Amino acid sequence: MQSKRLGWILLAPTLVILFFFGVLPFFYVVFVSFHSWNPFAVNPEMVFNGADNFRQIVFDPAFLHSIGVTVMFVFFAVVSELILGYILAQAFMRDFPGKAIFRTIHTLPLIMAPIIVGSVWKLMTTPSIGIIPHYLDEWFGITMNIGTSAPAAFATIVLMDVWHWTPLVTLTLIAALVSLPPDPFEQAQIDGAGKRQIFWHITLPMIAPAVVATVFIRLMDALRTVDEVWMLTGGGPGSATRFVGVHIFKEVFPKTNYGYGSTISVIVLYLTIVSCWLLYVTMLAPRTKRD
Amino acid sequence: MANVTIDNVIKRYGSVQVMHGVSVDIEDGEFVVLVGPSGCGKSTLLRMLAGLEEISDGTISIGDRVVNDVLPKERDIAMVFQSYALYPHKTVYDNIGFPLKMAKRSQSEIDDKVTKAADILDLTKYLKRYPKELSGGQRQRVAMGRAIVRDPQVFLFDEPLSNLDAKLRVTMRIEIKELHQRLGTTIVYVTHDQIEAMTMADKIVVMRDGRVEQIGSPLDLYDNPDNVFVAGFIGSPSMNFVHGKIATEEGVRVFVSDSGLKLPLPETTARDGQEITYGIRPEHIQIGPGGVEMDVVVVEPTGSETQIFAKAGKDLIDALVKERINARPGSKLGFVINPADVHLFDRASEQRI
Ligand SMILES: Nc1ncnc2c1ncn2[C@@H]1O[C@H](COP(=O)(O)OP(=O)(O)OP(=O)(O)O)[C@@H](O)[C@H]1O
Ligand SMILES: [Mg+2]
Repeated sequence: MQSKRLGWILLAPTLVILFFFGVLPFFYVVFVSFHSWNPFAVNPEMVFNGADNFRQIVFDPAFLHSIGVTVMFVFFAVVSELILGYILAQAFMRDFPGKAIFRTIHTLPLIMAPIIVGSVWKLMTTPSIGIIPHYLDEWFGITMNIGTSAPAAFATIVLMDVWHWTPLVTLTLIAALVSLPPDPFEQAQIDGAGKRQIFWHITLPMIAPAVVATVFIRLMDALRTVDEVWMLTGGGPGSATRFVGVHIFKEVFPKTNYGYGSTISVIVLYLTIVSCWLLYVTMLAPRTKRD
Repeated sequence: MANVTIDNVIKRYGSVQVMHGVSVDIEDGEFVVLVGPSGCGKSTLLRMLAGLEEISDGTISIGDRVVNDVLPKERDIAMVFQSYALYPHKTVYDNIGFPLKMAKRSQSEIDDKVTKAADILDLTKYLKRYPKELSGGQRQRVAMGRAIVRDPQVFLFDEPLSNLDAKLRVTMRIEIKELHQRLGTTIVYVTHDQIEAMTMADKIVVMRDGRVEQIGSPLDLYDNPDNVFVAGFIGSPSMNFVHGKIATEEGVRVFVSDSGLKLPLPETTARDGQEITYGIRPEHIQIGPGGVEMDVVVVEPTGSETQIFAKAGKDLIDALVKERINARPGSKLGFVINPADVHLFDRASEQRI
């Protein structure tokens, strides 16, 4: 029993912190989501309005649009990060001159705060002063203006996310690849499998847990992307890059619509949990049961 | 089916050379067993045959085609790894069926062959399991199954039965021999087990430290070992060796050990006074009157046989006899040696005289 009590004592600080900064705010947000609350309006009272916010949200075109662009963004970003991350991981598994330096440089984006990433990319993409539009124009005659072109803004944000987070994918995949036993791969060659078959039949299933875990992390992260986008495009042009995170931000801060903002947060959290759960059930659960 | 030629093969890992010019000719359909102490390069040679290890120098040909630069998957070989190398994420069924799937065989053919292999290997109950849910011996059988569903040019087996119990080992030994007789496929087989080597091989290759010591049929190696190493390695329990000189006493040539033990000599070209290593197999020694008197140290009855360790001076000799001997340690027994069974080696070069 001694060990059980010790366990609780050791856990206590974490639990207290978790309670005050995680559980309590969460329930508070849920509570607020059932109210109409605009603290800076003439009438700053918190008024209970039942499921009104939820009813409104389902038909709110701005919200539905933000979900749409978010899903697109998450899809393009995470898929590109996985493919690129895998290719880089495989490259780092081999020896080539300058590998150590390249590997260090390549992980640098990871240590940058999103807000800084946003600023850097803003500098690089601002028309007339940014390096990217400048050379696109000089070399290819392409005009790029993320302030006016929705596709350019969207693509830039995907690219920025890929630049920022691919190293994470690379690192986790390297860890997964390094820990693989060599024999099954040798055996597969002898069994007559080519490179592509080895990838699909051996490598991928064997690193699947790491891949799923990475997708998990990236999915949750990407769904709540705000700061970089806020910095770079502010959700524009129009609402082209107005992801849910940005949408909530705009509801809550400029419009000071706290009740409705909370409702969106709750819904987004719900969607995040559902999509992660689906991912878990379909991909990770059958595997963890087996291995 | 194909013949395999290993010609003066050298293997280096960086600056370390572990294989020093190995040459073996393997005929089409031959069952070749590689034996040798741990670390002598058996697995390395097998891996070079499979194409998993680069050949630093020399050539390997399979069926008259030099395969030095041929990819493993194009060599048409089946291999059972010392470490089993099962696919951890595939069921037993999928493990065994994998090579067939890669060869794009029909599902019904895969079904057929996997079921049959599972039956032979007593794995039917486990087809739906994953490797980590199996015992070592069961895993080893899955690895065997994955090889025997194929019909390759050459089978490579790296100690495929090492983890099985005695009974299963006998069954599998017979199964492999039958497979060999049925398919007539060339087999290269690594083992530490004397009985496997002696009973299965058409030809045994004895290796030591990355060199071939002798190649021959099992009985040839047993009867005419080229050197002390092969003599000691082939046969179980291994041959007795006594160091000494040749002398002529009262007109009779005898062997006199360093500690004075006198043993009978066969006809030999060895000179008087030549330094000799004298070898006699335990099973060639009889116990009885008229033999060399020695002090019994230990008697080990196994039921069917009795092994007796005895001493004379510093020389230790053991005998393996059919009859049951009741001798107490310390008592004296006569060891009868037939000169025809004696092997003589030059002491310095360790080569047969
Ligand atoms: N990757 C490697 N790098 C350096 N040396 C190696 C490597 N692989 C094997 N060796 C060396 O090559 C020699 C032969 O090894 P090998 O595995 O072929 O032995 P073996 O005869 O199969 O032994 P065992 O009976 O224990 O399986 C050993 O001395 C080993 O240390
Ligand atoms: Mg080995």
